[in-house]
Amino acid sequence: MAGDIGKIRIRVPSSAKAGDVIRVRCLVIHPMERIERDAQGKIVDRNYNYITRVTATYLGKPVAVFDLTQSVSENPAFSFALKATAPGPVTVTFVDTHGGKYESRADIAFA
Amino acid sequence: MSVRVALRSAAIAIVIAGCALATRESTPVASPAWTSHVIPEARGEIRVAPDGTRTAVRYKGWTARDFGAFRTYAYDDARPEPPVQKATMPANVVGDPKAGRALFLNRQKGPCTGCHLVPGADVWPAGGVGPDLSTLGDRKLPDSYLYQQLWDPRVIFPATVMPPWGAQRIFTPEEIVHLVAYLQTLHGPPPTDSDPDHNPFTRRRSTGFGDNLDPTNNPAVIRAEEARALWSARGPKGKACADCHANGPERAMRGVAARYPRVVAEYGRVTSLEDFLTVHAEATTGRALPSESDENVDLTVMIKMASNGLPVAIDTTSPAARAAIERGRATFFRRVGERNHACADCHTPDRGANKFLGGRFLGDVTAGLTRHLPTWRTDRNEIWDMRKRFQWCMTPLGANMLAADAVEYAELELFLTTFDVGKPINAPGIRH
Amino acid sequence: MAESITRRSALGTLGVVGVTLAAGALGTPATARAQASPQALGLQETVQDGLKRVFGGRPMKDGSALIKLEIPPIAENGAVVPVNVEVNAPMTPASYVKTIWIVADKNRIPIVARATLTPDAGQAFVGTHIRLGETTDVRAVVEQSDGTLLTAKREVKVTVGGCGG
Repeated sequence: MAGDIGKIRIRVPSSAKAGDVIRVRCLVIHPMERIERDAQGKIVDRNYNYITRVTATYLGKPVAVFDLTQSVSENPAFSFALKATAPGPVTVTFVDTHGGKYESRADIAFA
Repeated sequence: MSVRVALRSAAIAIVIAGCALATRESTPVASPAWTSHVIPEARGEIRVAPDGTRTAVRYKGWTARDFGAFRTYAYDDARPEPPVQKATMPANVVGDPKAGRALFLNRQKGPCTGCHLVPGADVWPAGGVGPDLSTLGDRKLPDSYLYQQLWDPRVIFPATVMPPWGAQRIFTPEEIVHLVAYLQTLHGPPPTDSDPDHNPFTRRRSTGFGDNLDPTNNPAVIRAEEARALWSARGPKGKACADCHANGPERAMRGVAARYPRVVAEYGRVTSLEDFLTVHAEATTGRALPSESDENVDLTVMIKMASNGLPVAIDTTSPAARAAIERGRATFFRRVGERNHACADCHTPDRGANKFLGGRFLGDVTAGLTRHLPTWRTDRNEIWDMRKRFQWCMTPLGANMLAADAVEYAELELFLTTFDVGKPINAPGIRH
Repeated sequence: MAESITRRSALGTLGVVGVTLAAGALGTPATARAQASPQALGLQETVQDGLKRVFGGRPMKDGSALIKLEIPPIAENGAVVPVNVEVNAPMTPASYVKTIWIVADKNRIPIVARATLTPDAGQAFVGTHIRLGETTDVRAVVEQSDGTLLTAKREVKVTVGGCGG
């Protein structure tokens, strides 16, 4: 699975019309590493790799920003809403603690 | 296969040398022509250190304990079930109910709460496979009777699903005395429980994980989508899957998975889709796709998805298939391992199926348990095919696992799939 | 999720922008201690300490009438627990839901996630998958653009394996 890190899928409705509030859902393949403890219960001190920020934009403007901790699941999914005003792109960008930045895009089409 | 036979021979040698156990093994049955291709952690191998310490090679994070003393599902393992043992309660031990309760709840032991409800807010999550013991003490059963029931319940109930805890040395005689002392303290009236979820007989079932075919819900779908690249990638022989199977996997493979597992004459045995890929891909493209490798499992999901919605249509009538199904059925009911359990104990409706084992609701074989496999396991973040699921089940049973492509598993999988015939394929699933 | 949703991103066309490893970031690796700095969203702390750290002593109103907190009452494992929060409140520049926190009381890191929204969202709705270490209350804390704090909570029972599987 290691080679899949940063793979993203985004789902948007197949079509929308102006004024619709639509829901977008995305998933990213990421380990979201948990804090490990040694045999004595002491935290293993290292740079854990987990996503700290997810930024969702529509037509270039942010609609939702998620700030995360290690209490969020491996391969996390995120959902949010947006008000469709024009056809155009939704982008989602993920940033992790190892400097990884992963981005994907889906297009909102008007019927 | 040959590796396993060799290992088993080594095990026999050690047993004889150490005179540790009076096991009997028949001469191994000649295996059908099959070249095993399995990743190292899925071969069911046992490592023997120079000092004689034996460790089982399993997947990362799984126990390395060798359960070699207990019988397995291998067709050439002719050891009988452990003999039924009558037991007498030791007179020189004073039962301590507090110690008994701790043992009852100990997750490193049974845990007894996996099958039995007893009072206490800390009893979570109790299962309902066995009777509710909340007021057992009121039945005024003799200590000696309860002791026997825990030591080896087969003396009282020959067809029980409860393991012979004492006979198999999982609990010591002293521990069983403490357990008996605890059980005798359980008097009515049963505690009033305001929380229906606490009681396995009234607990709500988990609602699951949503749409299994949605890639933003089920990472296994993403893996299968990525496997398209593998489908078109040329192997060392210069050929790709796509070269012979035209029009893309969705059309080329439509309906294929509905016919597996099946007897493949060329290999003289039952093969699942996964098994078939291990030999077929290498023969045609030169690419190794060993059983339980990510590539094998991902391609299997992709191929199975091409049959989604189609009814399972395996061969159940040819003489070879019927014979294999019968062997698979025998495996399903065969008791194995330290706990002397059969698959049937948890998964037939007259035994454990449709009841809670701890917090897990046990699947019912008669409903068909194979159509959603391979399946995403949310607690592991891995795709598991049926074989890895079998191998996992071996661990709590206390039995060494066989190689993932073992014919015993193939025929067991075939038997299980007979219950899915006519029902629509829906893979990959998503489960806890 | 709506069943009509079919379109999704073509990974091949845009997909992974790339793993951008800034030299500076590599030169000074953040350790576990540094990650748990006071600026961090989540720390290993009690839920009381976490709420105090994030919200100070600000009053928090019962928002159970306005906040729809969707989370399974029983989770077969705590590794992936889907949670959705929807707030029945306006999303206009004049008045909108600014921030939604998800809090799991008994987690080692109880402040789980924070979603910051803009009026362009059209609806105060967020969802994610969270980890729960054990049976616990899960809360949503909502901050509106006028600074009002609302909260709602639900208990999730986390079950553990039967016989190990």
